[in-house]
Amino acid sequence: MNTDLNTTSKSDTQKKSSLYRTVWRWHFYAGIIVAPFLIILAVTGSIYLFKPQIEQVLYQDLYEVTPLGEKIPASQQIEEVKRLYPDAVITKYRPGENETRSSEVSLTLQEESLTVFIDPYTGTSMGKLNDNDRIMDKIEEIHGELMIGTLGDRIVELAACWTIVLLVTGLYLWFPRKKPNMAGILFLRWNKGKSILARDLHVVPAFWITAGMIFLVMTGLPWSGFWGNNFQTIVTNTGAGYPPSVWVGNAPVSTVTKDIAEVPWAAEKLDVPASEIQGFIPLSVDDVVQIAKREGVHPSYTVFIPREPTGVYTLSAFTPKAEDEITMHIDQYTGAVLTDYRFDHYGFMGQVIALGITLHKGTQFGLINQLVSFFICLGMILVALSGFYLWIKRKPKKSMGAPKSTSIKNMKLFLVVLVGLGILFPLVGLSLIIIFLMDMLLIQRIPFLKRFLSA
Amino acid sequence: MKNLFCLAIIVLFLGGCSLKEDVAELYLQEKPLHAEVTLPESISSREQVPLKVILTQDGKRVEEVDSLEFEFWKHDDFLHATSEQPIKLEAGIYGTTKKFDSDGLYYLKIHASNDGSIIMPQIQVVVGELSNSELEYLQKDVQEKEEGHDHHH
Repeated sequence: MNTDLNTTSKSDTQKKSSLYRTVWRWHFYAGIIVAPFLIILAVTGSIYLFKPQIEQVLYQDLYEVTPLGEKIPASQQIEEVKRLYPDAVITKYRPGENETRSSEVSLTLQEESLTVFIDPYTGTSMGKLNDNDRIMDKIEEIHGELMIGTLGDRIVELAACWTIVLLVTGLYLWFPRKKPNMAGILFLRWNKGKSILARDLHVVPAFWITAGMIFLVMTGLPWSGFWGNNFQTIVTNTGAGYPPSVWVGNAPVSTVTKDIAEVPWAAEKLDVPASEIQGFIPLSVDDVVQIAKREGVHPSYTVFIPREPTGVYTLSAFTPKAEDEITMHIDQYTGAVLTDYRFDHYGFMGQVIALGITLHKGTQFGLINQLVSFFICLGMILVALSGFYLWIKRKPKKSMGAPKSTSIKNMKLFLVVLVGLGILFPLVGLSLIIIFLMDMLLIQRIPFLKRFLSA
Repeated sequence: MKNLFCLAIIVLFLGGCSLKEDVAELYLQEKPLHAEVTLPESISSREQVPLKVILTQDGKRVEEVDSLEFEFWKHDDFLHATSEQPIKLEAGIYGTTKKFDSDGLYYLKIHASNDGSIIMPQIQVVVGELSNSELEYLQKDVQEKEEGHDHHH
């Protein structure tokens, strides 16, 4: 058995061994660059997985109410919030999915987003939460964009794409070259010394979680800012994806565009003709709640309040299970259902992406789902750390300790794979171009760098 | 090869992809009912006022609507709401006459349903002169909307 990282099988042909070294070299550098991000993603991901349980504990006082007769109409609950925050703009209303759940009124006030929790039986406020103080939102922000916005989003996306490169190269390096002997491939070798164990602690768990990691990367990518948005747009355009406005694209507009009631400006007298004041007025949110009930919208929905005269009421529920999802747009004047997009109405790819998202978040199958994903995260951390250890162990003081480079021109197949990945994931392609340019313009011309990077 | 690659990436970065305008047609489509209401320019109390609604769906007039009802109430007096059954005047046009007992701010809510679409548009109606409290109520709305507007610059 000889797949140790610092030797190559002697029986391999020269060509094969140089291919092995090239793949290893790519794996080596990609690993060093990507590993820190993978650890960040795995740590934040494994916390975020348990968001439902964590928030249930954190916000118990804001979430739980004691049922007491009939619920007060939504419009009155919103009135109460307007009374408490006269200068606020109400943006959302969430009625609460069951008898013991408070309702939520979201608002913006001086550039801040607040959520006020209302006891729907008494109509009183139970407290408020500033969106900036939601710890799970922070975790999500780190996970999705390292808390630095678009640049962070692209970095995470790049790390995710390069993870695929790592997995592909890693699998090649892992692939048994001699007679199959499962030790060191599928099982750890505990009694062969420290360095064998260190190597096995990288290779064996990495193999076991490869499928899970590919799954997490592929299900996470569709919600990334660059690749994800373009991918979603392409898929939606074919008719096989999410219908427009669920992920990409705009909501329809309210059909009533004329005959909307105008309001007089002066309180003392009518300064506009009576006929201008006559006309359609926006639907009450109570009617919207009624429509949601009538149409069988999943009870965990949120109502987005229209802000423009042409806007619509949007009912949206992104439920733990993908098959309960719904995005519904309602004409704000007539109450007509303009679009009714549920899981069943998604195209095939849309359904796959939606399921991927709920599986990625660990909500689709509840606790089992969370635990499986959690173990994949732990595995990722272990693999990243053991990989880092393997590097430190072999790193000479004056260089990176990378495998010697061979000209990529001799590696037709490998080049094709890289270019393929570069086209499929343009950010990888872009980073490849930058690597080639840096290699050509800097590394090959500066002796110290060339030596340091074993280029 | 490398140049081609560069070009592809630049195109992707600059152009990105955009949604087709008629993309919604590829997915489930609703046939929302559409109402157009005709009210006289000015309405006085204690006289018969013709009220008409034109119903269209899927770009066509609704010949025989499944159900239609006009509901009226005066501002702040929803408890005394009354209902009336409009009659078909011509293809897609339904109407009734209504006598408002006193001046003030009224609401007309049209409940209509046809071929799976249910609508309930609400129309603000001014009869004669508005009272000060009614004006104030309308004004309150304005203030809210203006403030709302300010926050969203």
